[in-house]
Amino acid sequence: MRAGYVFSEVLTGLRRNITMTIAMILTTAISLGLLGGGLIVARLTQATQVLYGDKVEVIIYLTTDQSTKDPDCRAAVCQAIQTALKKNAEVELSTYQTQADAFAQYKERFAGQPEMLAIVQQDALPASFHVKLQDPQRFKVIAQEFTGLPGVDQVNDQSDFLNRLFGLLNSVRNIAIIVALIQAFAALLLISNMVQIAAYTRRTETSIMRLVGASRWRTQLPFMIEAVVAGVIGAVLSIGLLVVAKVTFVDKLLGSVINSGVLAPLSSADLVAVAPWLLIAGAGLASVSAYVTLRLYVRI
Amino acid sequence: MIHLSHVSKSYKTSTRPALEDVTIDVEKGEFAFLIGPSGSGKSTFLRLVLREDLPTSGAIQVAGKDLVKLRRSKVPSHRRRLGCVFQDFRLLTNKTVEQNVGFALEVIGRPRAAIKKIVPEVLELVGLEGKSRRLPHELSGGEQQRVAIARAFVNRPLLLLADEPTGNLDPDTSADIMLLLERINRTGTTVLMATHDNNIVDSMRRRVIELQLGRVVRDESRGVYGVGR
Repeated sequence: MRAGYVFSEVLTGLRRNITMTIAMILTTAISLGLLGGGLIVARLTQATQVLYGDKVEVIIYLTTDQSTKDPDCRAAVCQAIQTALKKNAEVELSTYQTQADAFAQYKERFAGQPEMLAIVQQDALPASFHVKLQDPQRFKVIAQEFTGLPGVDQVNDQSDFLNRLFGLLNSVRNIAIIVALIQAFAALLLISNMVQIAAYTRRTETSIMRLVGASRWRTQLPFMIEAVVAGVIGAVLSIGLLVVAKVTFVDKLLGSVINSGVLAPLSSADLVAVAPWLLIAGAGLASVSAYVTLRLYVRI
Repeated sequence: MIHLSHVSKSYKTSTRPALEDVTIDVEKGEFAFLIGPSGSGKSTFLRLVLREDLPTSGAIQVAGKDLVKLRRSKVPSHRRRLGCVFQDFRLLTNKTVEQNVGFALEVIGRPRAAIKKIVPEVLELVGLEGKSRRLPHELSGGEQQRVAIARAFVNRPLLLLADEPTGNLDPDTSADIMLLLERINRTGTTVLMATHDNNIVDSMRRRVIELQLGRVVRDESRGVYGVGR
């Protein structure tokens, strides 16, 4: 069997069936694009988890009144809170952040966005205690003890926010993968249809091949390669879609969120890591459905 | 070469079996006609020999191979020892004469050099030298059938099956095709030809196996098509 001969057969086949081929390539591309998106979100979630690491803390915000009157935590109200925190066995470490510190941090975080800087002044930000717990799960105990104490405005748990953030990321990932699977099913049917049409248009050739004793592989390989070539083109297209999505959507719209450290950045390395899996999935999806179709529908 | 022993074949779509208790031996080097009206089982007979189908019951041996026990993966190598010719020629319309003949070798993995050498030899044998670069539609019906015979014979089969090879041809052209099949038979290839053409059968005086409603009703070594047909 000569490679050039098979290759020219494959090209002719793809051209002959051009509308079906395009439909199949586009469906595959969308399916794999969503799958890739899901995989990237999963990587992003992991990276964000690392980003937060053990920095997860409970923040006890003091009232604005208390914050301005006693900026350095010297008065009795503030001292009482500080002592209570030090005595508490659940607390690993607690630090006091003044209004000035909070404002400095805010300015640093939103350095690139003057509109965000313009709306906030130092007085608007409360002073706070940043509490690191032995066991972050024990947040409720701290919240109960300190909520309502004099000088305390509210007790805020970052892990609560993080759980919601990761919950959101996980649902984005799940939805992307579910839609990807539905699309993959559609792609599978299109590949099957494409192979059946290809086999039908070439039935004279295949019937002659069968009669003169060409092996099953020799007869079916052009159809398989045809499907795999289309599948790989779909995968390449899906990688292109992801790159476009990164440049136009993620980098532009989520840029500020990433810069402020809420989300881990989406790097080109993430795309590079996901791309080979999409190529494998594209080729695999096409070859498996082509093979099954040939086994079930095409007489050899 | 072909040994059928009590072979029956029923199809799900029909109440009557297509072949019923057929026992036939065709020896190596023989030339035999398979005759009978439409629906008598001629095509089923050829399909079974080709291992396109398995019999419902009975045993089939072709060229020393037990076709009932033959594994699916061995079917291609079985067919490589057979050649096939049909009423409708079954040529690839977009390929030239030599490409059509070469195709049979190409798809079983014969090297290009061998194909280049063998194809012209076979085209000369069937009388198509000088027409190797024509396309099928540029040839007459008889010439197209010669291409088909060349393709069936190019791999030097032990057995040539011909299903109504003269069905689409006029009497003179048919006679030429029969001469060609005789010549192929003289090289030692067994020829089994299914036909309706009484003139040919009568003039050749070869073995005649007649089927009716799936049964062998006649088997004569130097037969004619039959009286009153």
